[in-house]
Amino acid sequence: MRPKLARGVIHGILLTTLALTLVPFFFMVNSALRESSEFYHGTFAAPRALRQLGRLGLDAVEGRRGPVVVTDEFDNPRTVPRAEAARYYASRLTVGAELAWDLLRRYILNSFLVSGLTALGVCFLGSGTAYLLARYRFIGRKFVFTFILATMIFPGVLTLVPSFLLVKQLGLLNTYGSMILPYIAGGQVFAIFVFKSFFEGLSEELFESARLDGAGHWSLYWHIILPLSRPVFSVVTIMNVLGTWNNFLWPYIVNTDDRHHVVASGLYTMASSTMSSNPSTLYAAWTISSIPLLVLFVYATKPFIRGLTSGALRA
Amino acid sequence: MRSSLRPLSLLVVLAIGAWLLWPPARPENGVAGKSASTAARSVKHVIRFAPGGIYFPGTLPQGVGEPLQGLTKVVAAFEARFPDTRVEFINTPVLREFLVTQLAGGSAPDIVTVNVEDVWVDTQKNWYVPLDRYLEAPNPFVAERDPRAPGARQWWDMFRYQAISRGKKGPDGRNYCISLDMVETGIFYNQTFFAAHGLKVPGTWGEFLTLAERIRRLGKTPLAVNIDALADWGQDLLFDQIYQEILPGIDLKKDPERDAYQPAYLDPDEIAFLYRKGLFTRRDPRYVEVWRHLHELVPYITRDLITADVVRDFVNQDAIMFWSGTWLTGRLDADKGVGFKWNVFYLPPLTRKESPYAIGVPMCVIGGSGTQFEITNSAVSDTDPSLPFAERIKRSERLRRTVQLLQFICLPENTEKIVNEFPILIPNIVGVPVLPQLAPFERILERRYTSTKWAYTFDLRFNDITRRMLLLFLTNGIDLDGFLAWQDSNLRAATQNFIERKRPDFGPFEREWRRRAPVRAHYRDLPTPP
Amino acid sequence: MISAPTRARLRFAAGCHVLLLPSMVLLLTFVYLPVAWAFVKSLYRFEIGGQAEFIGLQNYIEYLTIDPPTWPSMLNMFLLTAFAVLTRLTVPLVVAKLIHSLPAERTRYLYRVGFLVPIVVPGIAVQLLWSRLIYSDYGMLSETLRFFGLGDWTRGWLSDPHTALAALMFMGFPFAGGFEILVYYAGLSAIPESVNEAAALEGCTGIRKFFRIDVPLVLSQLKLILVLTVIGGFQGFEGIFVLSQGGPGFRTMVPGLWMYYNAFSYQRMGYACAIGVVLFAIIFSLTLFNLRYFRSAEEIQGHTS
Repeated sequence: MRPKLARGVIHGILLTTLALTLVPFFFMVNSALRESSEFYHGTFAAPRALRQLGRLGLDAVEGRRGPVVVTDEFDNPRTVPRAEAARYYASRLTVGAELAWDLLRRYILNSFLVSGLTALGVCFLGSGTAYLLARYRFIGRKFVFTFILATMIFPGVLTLVPSFLLVKQLGLLNTYGSMILPYIAGGQVFAIFVFKSFFEGLSEELFESARLDGAGHWSLYWHIILPLSRPVFSVVTIMNVLGTWNNFLWPYIVNTDDRHHVVASGLYTMASSTMSSNPSTLYAAWTISSIPLLVLFVYATKPFIRGLTSGALRA
Repeated sequence: MRSSLRPLSLLVVLAIGAWLLWPPARPENGVAGKSASTAARSVKHVIRFAPGGIYFPGTLPQGVGEPLQGLTKVVAAFEARFPDTRVEFINTPVLREFLVTQLAGGSAPDIVTVNVEDVWVDTQKNWYVPLDRYLEAPNPFVAERDPRAPGARQWWDMFRYQAISRGKKGPDGRNYCISLDMVETGIFYNQTFFAAHGLKVPGTWGEFLTLAERIRRLGKTPLAVNIDALADWGQDLLFDQIYQEILPGIDLKKDPERDAYQPAYLDPDEIAFLYRKGLFTRRDPRYVEVWRHLHELVPYITRDLITADVVRDFVNQDAIMFWSGTWLTGRLDADKGVGFKWNVFYLPPLTRKESPYAIGVPMCVIGGSGTQFEITNSAVSDTDPSLPFAERIKRSERLRRTVQLLQFICLPENTEKIVNEFPILIPNIVGVPVLPQLAPFERILERRYTSTKWAYTFDLRFNDITRRMLLLFLTNGIDLDGFLAWQDSNLRAATQNFIERKRPDFGPFEREWRRRAPVRAHYRDLPTPP
Repeated sequence: MISAPTRARLRFAAGCHVLLLPSMVLLLTFVYLPVAWAFVKSLYRFEIGGQAEFIGLQNYIEYLTIDPPTWPSMLNMFLLTAFAVLTRLTVPLVVAKLIHSLPAERTRYLYRVGFLVPIVVPGIAVQLLWSRLIYSDYGMLSETLRFFGLGDWTRGWLSDPHTALAALMFMGFPFAGGFEILVYYAGLSAIPESVNEAAALEGCTGIRKFFRIDVPLVLSQLKLILVLTVIGGFQGFEGIFVLSQGGPGFRTMVPGLWMYYNAFSYQRMGYACAIGVVLFAIIFSLTLFNLRYFRSAEEIQGHTS
């Protein structure tokens, strides 16, 4: 076997697969920079404004000066100075993004709020409950743990409709509570599971010595458990955020008006109603909505990946 | 160095994010920015207004042009006039399923924008406010400035298309909507292409099919269309054509006011009754004929009935005709890339030659009232819920303000700002000019109204299954018999559900049915009751 | 008479339970109560804002015997799940293996990150992207065909009864982007160096080694993905909801989506609950089966290692 050739083949296969995987996303970003009217004449061209900017740039390099003809989205021409032409095309580049942002801003804020509060609640409740179950022996402990774990056999599809009825009954439709409370309730189960097995693995000596120093239960939790389990917290947080951030169906069902939509449900409403004939805005919205997780991915790669893979264990 | 840059860049990213997400100074969605200034004054009523997708502030009409601002301006003027009131725009999908959940929970917007037929389904639940008493009274904003202007005596007088607007009265005899504008459908065609190939606007259904066949031979898609147009308009048009002859024998309900515009409209209760008499089933040859004719279009329509962009097919001259409505004129008109002349014709009638049941009357209108505003039970939320609905309506101050908003919108100068901002729909207020692009449609509006609107007659399940199975039928996934079997069980379930919900009294229908037996005696091929 | 130590233990337990209360209350309200409701309400006929009427098992009878979409939708669910299992067990594993076989850590890292990038895009955006950019009339698929002069082959990928189900199956092609690769890669990395060396010594390399050594050793990862894909396939219907709405006709309907339509579009809440219960029964029996299988597989692993 010729290793160089083999490696070449491997790279070939991998690069092709990678290209096929990423191509839709490339066109997503490309389309975000185009104006809606451009889509009537082709799906896969480069953004008109970008081409024009490139032309202006080339002209600048070649030293051409003087006024230049710019056309709007309907090919209506007018003659303007070069600097203004450049400004005009630069502004056309972000037409879709600006329109998308008007709606998306609220969705993103809602998402931050919902995912953030949920993660906070899950971490707090999950770690607290797990701490009790892991480090204390008390009557009913086994029962409680079984009670918690048993919820894992109920699939979401069973509870979707009755949960909606419940949330409606509680008057929570169109509130943040309709999302946060059920998310915490469901999300804490796996968190308890993860926290508990971690806490059980901690050596008893640590706790002994702290207790000798006169630390109470609360102080044990605060001064020993928390500092030691920071990686677990970050994994649980990220795993939870990934789940709530991507959940579309539930927020779509419980938000019948626009105010509390999160990113996922908001994107669908945009695509199916207000912005359905506005492709530029839609692609821009999808591109922008990828940024928060991208930032999380870039700055917390390790916990992000661990969160992903352990999130897989949720089943 | 790398490690010190990382947190720094994170800070920068977070700062940019925070800066972007900070509440903007410029109006978001047109109004939110203003709320900051209104927060200072004491706001008593916050009217939640779902104006629908067409005029929603900040959207681009048909994806082109400038963001819409008309409604924002009108509402700002209203708020200036009533400082204790703030109007909040709600961007809610105009879907009945959403309305139902909202209304049941009492969390619907105060003003919604749906086809009023969707409202009729649930009127027995006291979810909507009847508007007759306001329409019959003066519009205060007109009365105060010119006692002789239309609207000063009664609000009704402001509407240009009287018969259509009044024809929107529900089966229960009450009016639940304000028709701000008119919408109309038609076949857009490439006039240049027609002239180049000697094609003529067809006069009959047969000619229409021949025309389509000729265009197909020329290598083009004859008619770009999507499934919703076929399921909704196509079904109604062909139904109206085929049943026209026997309508006098089967239209059992008469109402002079509604009949002025829709002489033989079949309401859900009538259809439910007629279904029991064997009509609209597999055993009704006319019903079979409706679907057979719709299927005749299959070779000539867009292959992808769901995602096809009919305008784009048309603009790129891949398709020579497309079936759509008034709302696309502005889009076509603005596009300088359209290198041909276009015009609009209306579907031609079926004649005896094409169907034994057709009598050749011109095709009816698919259109009429466009934007229809309804007021929901949320508007009376300032009253005691234990009171009877009528009493709450009388007492509610919030409702009065909500009605005032609609009355204010109906002022000619305001309607003009909203409706004529972009050529989408034809204004329905006297004194508001019609944009020249929409002129071809004005003529079509003079036609007779459809004899029923199937898509707005029964529950959503009926609509959904009809649309699904029709798509399968038109993509040849199922044959006519299979489709009719589905439609049969579908209509059975729908009428059953309707009877259970509304508990209609079929007694008068039964008497009328017997009284008209002699009329029906002349009709061929009437199905026998099961 | 309760002794003092017992009383202390009881008091201690009571204290613990008070601290557990928030968790328990949330679980009771938002998990156990809906579960109970699902069973109870499935015996009623009611719409939101209307009266509820007790009808016994009629909803179940209608769903399992009369309602035409029931069995086709079950079949679709099985087909979609089977295809998903097939692809999610093979493609990412092969890709992970190929990445793992590269010598330079930096290249491996770059590939891994590259394949992970799509994960930052919200799932709903990916689905909308596929419906607009790939499968629409002017989408990538049709345009590519037209580019090669095969315009006659184009069709409404999601509305044509012959292609709709396949189009849904192939959403996400080439099935390599996502966390499966990470899972497999982790599994491959965990294979001890000694095993690899022994294999090399015995002349077991390349494809033979892949099947003889790598695959058996990432069995637990494969099983994990299998379970996840099956559960996801039986429960998930968002993608179908966004792309084809279960159409044309009911050609791509799945039970979960049928439940959704019955509940939120047709206002048949009780009926939807009954569908949910039936689905639960299916998933539950699969879980039982899986538990048994899981244990035996564990034993096999115990033997091999």
